Amino acid sequence: MITVYGQCAAAFVFGTTVGVLVQRSRWCNTAALRDAMLFKSYRNTKALLVAMMILTVGFTAMISIGNGNPMRFDVGINQFIGLFLFGIGMVFAGACTVSSWVKTGEGNIGALWALLFLIVGLFVSSLVWSFSFWPLAGPSMTGHANAAALQLGFADALTLQRDTGVPAVVFGVIQAGALYALYRRILRRERAALAPQGQETPISIEYAVSPSVGRPATVANPVSSARDTLSTLGE
Amino acid sequence: MDFFKKSLDPIVALAIIAVLDIFLFLIVGAWTVGGGETMLAGLFVKSLVGAKEMNRIPFWHLVFKPTWAYWKIYISLGMGFGALVSAILSKEFYWRVPKHLSEWVMITIGGLLMGIGIRLSFVCNVSTFLGLTPEMNLGGYLAVSGLVIGAWVGTLVYKKILEA
Repeated sequence: MITVYGQCAAAFVFGTTVGVLVQRSRWCNTAALRDAMLFKSYRNTKALLVAMMILTVGFTAMISIGNGNPMRFDVGINQFIGLFLFGIGMVFAGACTVSSWVKTGEGNIGALWALLFLIVGLFVSSLVWSFSFWPLAGPSMTGHANAAALQLGFADALTLQRDTGVPAVVFGVIQAGALYALYRRILRRERAALAPQGQETPISIEYAVSPSVGRPATVANPVSSARDTLSTLGE
Repeated sequence: MDFFKKSLDPIVALAIIAVLDIFLFLIVGAWTVGGGETMLAGLFVKSLVGAKEMNRIPFWHLVFKPTWAYWKIYISLGMGFGALVSAILSKEFYWRVPKHLSEWVMITIGGLLMGIGIRLSFVCNVSTFLGLTPEMNLGGYLAVSGLVIGAWVGTLVYKKILEA
């Protein structure tokens, strides 16, 4: 059993590695969604899908053999509402939780400002919870459906395995297959978009960051001019 | 130090992170950012108002007792630290300040909405895509739906604002 200090140390090492890799790759979750919707550019989306495929197989395999620490909390409509608000917020701020930290580390004051107000939003809504006590949290979670509280109880690979007797990894492989199908579809769409231009391989967008403004200085992509009109932190 | 001279393919970066995340899942739990930020919010306010006042707020007494011994905090701090080191080594560290008032307003509203969203759902974008959904948690599918629709609505509003 790992100690609390060991947990914190492992988390810091992991976080530091993530910080380096995200800083070097300029990956951003906001861009993964926004660029796909606005510009039909899937550079970040493809990376997200690959990570989801690896993690789905990895997590469900661990769950199948009784290892790992899956999240345990009641599923509820609050997850939909909360992430809906989050989705609007991350597009407005131009950064998600990851890129806020990474951009702050790069010296981006706007990202630091976003983090500060994220903390303000968290605290203010904790006062609302202290009045409404909704959604269920901590000791009030039962793991069972609770219609009055708009909660569906626990429902994940572990419960699926327990209820069906089928190893969780089987479901994981099916989900990874669905994600791969989506990935292939994106690749086909990219090839189809590039074919009329006579290009054989997908464009690799190189982000050469301009020291003066902190935004992409050159983007070797047809969507570059449109993208440059969006002033955000996430790129 | 060639690593810091050129950009890294995000697919490679995210694949490495995913493999490391599986090890983290075995030790303590999957990568998440919102939990650490929630605890940091509690610790920040506690440092301003004191423990006695903080204990009077049910959320910080019943759900998130502010403590530095919470591993998720260190993921967030590590990300900032790793990015700082990487930016310095790659000579990409420099102060960037939003130039227009409209940018400050959008970032402020965006930050507030992200904070409210995390608090309401108990998850962030990272735990949605790279935690709950790979664990096949029904909450992950609900959260992904909400996040995609929210990002779409946010993009439409942002476009309208830019056009105006």
